[in-house]
Amino acid sequence: MSLLSITDMKVSYGHIEAIKGVSLAVEEGEVVTILGANGAGKTTLMRTISGLLKPTAGTITYDGNDITQTRADAIVGLGIAHSPEGRRVFGTLTVEENLMLGAYTRPRTEALETRKQVYDLFPRLLERRLQLSGTLSGGEQQMLAIGRAMMAKPRLLMLDEPSLGLAPIIVKNIFAALADVRKTGVTILVVEQNARIALKLADRGYVLEVGKIVHEDTAKALMASSEVQEAYLGKG
Amino acid sequence: MKLSVNRNIGAVVWIAGLLVPLVASNSWISILSIFAIYAVVALSTDVVLGRAGMYDMGHAVYFGVGAYVTAILNVQYGVPILWTMPIAVVVAAIVGMVLAAPMVKLRGDYLLVATIGFNEIFRMILINDVGGVTGGPDGIFGIGVPSVFGYSISSQEGLFVLNWLLLGIALVLMNNLDKSRLGRVFRYLKEDELAATTLGVNARYYKILAFGLGAGLAGAAGTLFATQLATVSPSAFVFMESVTLFAIVIVGGQASIPGVLLGTVLMFVVPQVFRDLAEYRYLVFGLAMIVVMVLRPQGIWPRRNRPE
Repeated sequence: MSLLSITDMKVSYGHIEAIKGVSLAVEEGEVVTILGANGAGKTTLMRTISGLLKPTAGTITYDGNDITQTRADAIVGLGIAHSPEGRRVFGTLTVEENLMLGAYTRPRTEALETRKQVYDLFPRLLERRLQLSGTLSGGEQQMLAIGRAMMAKPRLLMLDEPSLGLAPIIVKNIFAALADVRKTGVTILVVEQNARIALKLADRGYVLEVGKIVHEDTAKALMASSEVQEAYLGKG
Repeated sequence: MKLSVNRNIGAVVWIAGLLVPLVASNSWISILSIFAIYAVVALSTDVVLGRAGMYDMGHAVYFGVGAYVTAILNVQYGVPILWTMPIAVVVAAIVGMVLAAPMVKLRGDYLLVATIGFNEIFRMILINDVGGVTGGPDGIFGIGVPSVFGYSISSQEGLFVLNWLLLGIALVLMNNLDKSRLGRVFRYLKEDELAATTLGVNARYYKILAFGLGAGLAGAAGTLFATQLATVSPSAFVFMESVTLFAIVIVGGQASIPGVLLGTVLMFVVPQVFRDLAEYRYLVFGLAMIVVMVLRPQGIWPRRNRPE
């Protein structure tokens, strides 16, 4: 049984259908990436899984339970952490406060333990722990956003465009950290425009185009596919 | 460290205020009474607007519900004034939560318009004497005096002490809110509701709760307002009053206790003192509000962002 499975899901904003019948599955321990251009529906898909949006059709099953109608805040408690697009750290709070906020649903003593692991993963955050998050660089804020999501000790970590607006060297660092995260057994679902780096990390991938899945394969096969190369990897 | 200094100064000022009736004239005592009542209403507006970040342009409704609950229960049913206060608090809080429930998901500007609508409906209910209990446009007269342990409090001094006590309670509550988990959750929601939700905050629950708390506190102030004036009428709870409360929080400083108190002084005390200048005072206030917003958009006495 898959950790997460979505069947025939449709999501609309008013009259506009952004997701037009998507089915996908994520197995425990896997890293799955969803590739797609701007407006393909990647963020909508993520927000629907985490309960911020409600689908108009279809079901979302997590760990054997139907979570289609579960509230977003309750879904966090079930073990799905969503690091939203654009980082969205609380700029007027310190790094440490942001992290502790990530453990909002957990007891403090457990949270302190997880915080240690997050600091091990991102030593940069430890250095800046008392700094206001608004004063961090973009890369540091992205590390904080990922670290904050990990504070919920999720089984499924969902990342929306972790490479957004970052220098290539920083993107590389962040994906190296994600490779460490997967070693701890956390399942990762990552949405990316940067197909190359996402496919390097992932086991499998889906390609989303205007609300529909058009390709689905192992990361290696997608990397080798001429269509994917042409559209997403910039090879003619 | 600095915060506790501030808090001690606050306590000293509050105690000094309690002694004012010993030296001040009756008109000053009544001005300070009105200040205390409106300060509580302004602090309650701040719970919703400044702390939870919802544009509530109808807060006078909850203040009015509290005042009318006291007036109706006391005049029609003979319930002693101080007994009406808990009822006023509960009824106002329920009204706040029931009105908030369907609209807390609205974005700021839409919420603002919806709350204006509630304020207008409330005014129409009062004026048209719906249910035959509000007294129509004239309101309700002859509200009794409160009594404590059998002693009637009818003097200006006595009422002042009562009002000042409620202000003290409100200040302690707000100060606790500042330090509490609840206060922090409100702040997260205000800053970024989506991010807070992805971390497990039940946004809808806490937003309705903010309306309930704000409305309940306003209801308590309503009881004392009805008592202070011995009469209630619709004109005290109109849209313009809500606008003034909104302006107090924004001009004074959102989520800042001293800021809100300062805003109350500017909007309610200074106009009383400069009564002789009649209409000109509104011109001066309008200009002052514009100048403050342009030069100091965070408010005159803003909240400090400090690591917690």
